[in-house]
Amino acid sequence: MSAVAAKPAAGGAMNPTAMAVGIVMLLILVGIGYMVSPMVLTYAPAISPTFALMALLGVIIGGVLIGFGTHFVPVGGAPAAMGQAPGIATGVAMLAAGAGLAGLFGGAWAAELGMVIAVVTGGVGGGLMMAITCMMVNFVYVFGMGIPSASGKVANDPITGDSQAEYKSQGTEGHGLPFISFVGGVIGGILGGAGGTLIYLELLSLYEETLPGMMQITPAQAMPIAVSAAGMFAVGLFLVNAVLTAYNITGTIEGPHDPKFKRWPRAIVASAVASALCGLVAILIVVPL
Amino acid sequence: MSVKVEVIEGGVPHNNILAAGLVSTLVCLYLTYLNVLTSTQMFSFFGGLAVVAALVWGSHTIKVLCSYGIGTGVPSAGMIAFGSGVIAMLLATKFGMLAPVVALVLAVVIGLILGYVSNNILNMKIPAMVQALTEMAVVGALSLMGFAALMTGSFTFAGLTNGSTSVMGMILANHEMSFMVGGLAVAFLLGALAIQHPFNATLGPGWKQDRMLMLAAECGFLSMVVAAIMSFALISTGSALISLIIAIIGWAYTYQQYMELSKRDAAAWLNAKPIPDVEGH
Repeated sequence: MSAVAAKPAAGGAMNPTAMAVGIVMLLILVGIGYMVSPMVLTYAPAISPTFALMALLGVIIGGVLIGFGTHFVPVGGAPAAMGQAPGIATGVAMLAAGAGLAGLFGGAWAAELGMVIAVVTGGVGGGLMMAITCMMVNFVYVFGMGIPSASGKVANDPITGDSQAEYKSQGTEGHGLPFISFVGGVIGGILGGAGGTLIYLELLSLYEETLPGMMQITPAQAMPIAVSAAGMFAVGLFLVNAVLTAYNITGTIEGPHDPKFKRWPRAIVASAVASALCGLVAILIVVPL
Repeated sequence: MSVKVEVIEGGVPHNNILAAGLVSTLVCLYLTYLNVLTSTQMFSFFGGLAVVAALVWGSHTIKVLCSYGIGTGVPSAGMIAFGSGVIAMLLATKFGMLAPVVALVLAVVIGLILGYVSNNILNMKIPAMVQALTEMAVVGALSLMGFAALMTGSFTFAGLTNGSTSVMGMILANHEMSFMVGGLAVAFLLGALAIQHPFNATLGPGWKQDRMLMLAAECGFLSMVVAAIMSFALISTGSALISLIIAIIGWAYTYQQYMELSKRDAAAWLNAKPIPDVEGH
């Protein structure tokens, strides 16, 4: 059977048992985080006993933001490259990683200015990256390939109210980036960038406090190690969340108006479990074992 | 249920590749421990060989997973392999000599949970999913550890975070010149690209197992060349030179073999030279 005929396996249905198991796993992982949290004090006596637990919760929130935000991004894949489906012509994982890493670098640069400013900067960085990408993609579609933007999933654009059917070519699912997809892309970039930055900041603050005590070095010496360890964990977590969301979407999505968008509750649970697991491992590094 | 797009016809069964890849990766990683026993850094190149073995195994795992239409593209598999692998690997480095085994166990746990999450919570329902994600987390963790051993001669947390710069014969401790700060991100992407490329490049009706695995070995050695060049900054020049020479020899051999296999599988080929020979003028 050809790859075209092989429809994606995942339907829109929820699996209530698995969701419940997922939530129980999440609670167990957070519980382990609560147990190990005071042990971090061995290396950094000055911090609060729940410092590591708060970092874990921050990581989970960041991961959920990434997983939820990715659903907004218009992903077209190979059909979009041929002008047969709306969206940006690449895969979910690549777009989510691109937007999130752009935001992460923006937010990391502002890490000194406090949590709120850094997270907002990360969100703006991710949103800006997606806005530029969406605009250039539309330039290429409209002026390079000569196709108008039209959605195949809705009759009228939910924001502008423009009708879509007249502009849609026969035999396609729509093409280009309609306004709603553009807006969705920017929202997705903002959520993804903010989530990535939040993960980075939480882990960075934890490592900054504990690494000097653990490695018996000065805070200035520990700084580059803390930055790179937090950065690598943030990238790893980001990719895990982005790929899990890609599995949830299975292929292409047009944006927030796409019927596949309704699958987001599954991605929230999945991202929360995966982030709790990976975040716990990241915290165990600075726990005496 | 999903439809399996391609089946493996002939060739080595996946379980044999799994066993061979796992054993040779672990053995190669532990051979770098000769560095400690003999107080040299000459055996760092075994880390690179561990990377090659892990990547060959991992590329076949990606083939098994992506034979089902997962609809997300082959590169995403490489990304989740190293994304979950780096997390297991960094924690495992704390356990000193046990690090490779701990990385294996941790990656299995992370991979199993991620596999359950994607197969059941996200409702993928792909039979190979749990095993494939588990294997890929292990491959990611062990190949990053291989890169660490290749670049620093060690796979412990201290070895990864301590660097030393030798200035005019004086050894200075310098944490900024360490694998963790400079090398990890590069190793991450070197591995993630090398693991997803072979199947992405050879998939289709003309897929042949030996050709894909040879391409995987070629990508592994090519990554090892880059990592060996970077290792000049972290280990002694002689040891880095040994790694580099082995990497270049391995790359040249596998590249030549891959070209032959490609010509074997091609319907026809023309040796179009970059600059045509002009005759008779």
